[in-house]
Amino acid sequence: MENTLIFDLSMMMAKILVILAGTLGVVPIMVWFERRGAAWMQRRVGPNRVGPFGLLQPLADVVKFIFKETFIPKNANRFYYLMAPIIALIAPLCALAVIPFGSKAIINGHEVILQVAQMDTGVIFILAFAGLEVYPVILAGWASRNKYSVLGALRGSSQIVSYEISMGLALLSMLVVYGSFNPHEMVSWQQGTLGFLPRWGAFVNPVGALIFWIAIFAETNRLPFDLAEGESEIVAGYHLEYGGMKFAAFFMAEYVAMIMASGLLATLFFGGYGILPGMSTLIQAIGSHFAFGEVGFQNLKAAFEFISFATKVAFFMFMFVWIRWTLPRFRFDQLMDLGWKILFPISLINLVVVTLGVYYFNS
Amino acid sequence: MSPVIIILCLISACLAFTMLFAKSPITSALCLLGVLIMTAGIYGMIGEHMIATIQLVVYAGAIMVLFIFSIMLLNLGESENEFKDKPGIFVLGIILGLSVFGLLAYAIVHYFNQPTIAKKMGQFTPELISQLGGNSKVLSHALFSQFYVSFEVISLALLVAVVGAVVLAKRKID
Repeated sequence: MENTLIFDLSMMMAKILVILAGTLGVVPIMVWFERRGAAWMQRRVGPNRVGPFGLLQPLADVVKFIFKETFIPKNANRFYYLMAPIIALIAPLCALAVIPFGSKAIINGHEVILQVAQMDTGVIFILAFAGLEVYPVILAGWASRNKYSVLGALRGSSQIVSYEISMGLALLSMLVVYGSFNPHEMVSWQQGTLGFLPRWGAFVNPVGALIFWIAIFAETNRLPFDLAEGESEIVAGYHLEYGGMKFAAFFMAEYVAMIMASGLLATLFFGGYGILPGMSTLIQAIGSHFAFGEVGFQNLKAAFEFISFATKVAFFMFMFVWIRWTLPRFRFDQLMDLGWKILFPISLINLVVVTLGVYYFNS
Repeated sequence: MSPVIIILCLISACLAFTMLFAKSPITSALCLLGVLIMTAGIYGMIGEHMIATIQLVVYAGAIMVLFIFSIMLLNLGESENEFKDKPGIFVLGIILGLSVFGLLAYAIVHYFNQPTIAKKMGQFTPELISQLGGNSKVLSHALFSQFYVSFEVISLALLVAVVGAVVLAKRKID
């Protein structure tokens, strides 16, 4: 009894560590890739001085961030000013707890489900924490007492609130298909094939997938929807008055939110941790070569599931960068028009169509 | 009771008091947000994930955003003087609040251990719920099959409220 308690606790800690280290460890790589990728897409050289290919540039940036002077504007509301970057990091990290990164591993004869928090509300919990991402934007803008910051905060929060509706409706259409909130059940529903395609949510409900994908760009304040920052118009928007590590916290929060959104997109629409097509033969080959037992096979499968999930997330992260450096920024009225007049009605119609389709196929 | 729940309760009580006595409206609003999040934490700790999540989605994620958004838009921080305590109303409020609290506490203490409650238990026990596939499944099934008429009527009431709000605001603007 005592032993299982310690085992459960250490497994829980290990899973949290994997998620935390994985997410925060990816951030510097993404920062490097964003700058080098931008340079590559614009036929520039990009940062290439620090380390091979400029790979140590993020490290140099971190050192700079840490040793910068702590500066708080005189008129700022000190408490809320300092609180905003903390909330900005907490909310997306909490949401990551529900995204599964594998089915289950068998360690020491115990089944370990590769997901930090097993809740029966699953995906809705992610939505709850995604909803909390508005607060740092509002707080930072308000507490800085700067006109540009307030403008950025107003833009950012109205944008996040508006696109949350289309995002929620797209999510709802997938919940109707899966009939469950549980991400594991969603992934197992997406196993199998649809003709020559894998039975992924994106192929079952392509309109919903597209709307969801567009909406997460707005939710994470990424170009072409980065009106909250809009360097050419309002300098840097809500985090204009932040410097040093406080700015870095916002920066990290943006990437963590991107990882969370990519993970959610992969789980909902692209098979989640379900192994990529062709990998099952690889698993068979490796497993039979080393003569694995049932436990070994399960663990090997879990490892490949993790690799598949990471590949999918990496692909969507690449898309984030690609789209950022391809599309120009929207104007604010265009953004709102797209959100309210195009995406919202389409997602409503899509929800009705999907519901009728599910009713037709189930009866 | 687990110590985590007690800590959450203490924090939420502190936040509630800060909300009452704060001078600036945005502090009050944020403290209320904190209370709501702590309450969601308490729900989560006793295993009611569904209610905890709904609490976060609806109250923390939607309603409080509106509150804080409107405080920011109207820039109420400037008019902190209008937020002064009016002694008469304040005392009345405290008396009313205490009496409601006293009644509730009396009711809970008086009826909590009465055998009648045990006899009136519904059909759902924790074992049955986990057997049927979790709280959210049972709840949604009840909501969309057994109680769907009342569910729809409530949504109609919300629609009426929205239309009413628009009409009232429009008259003011015209």
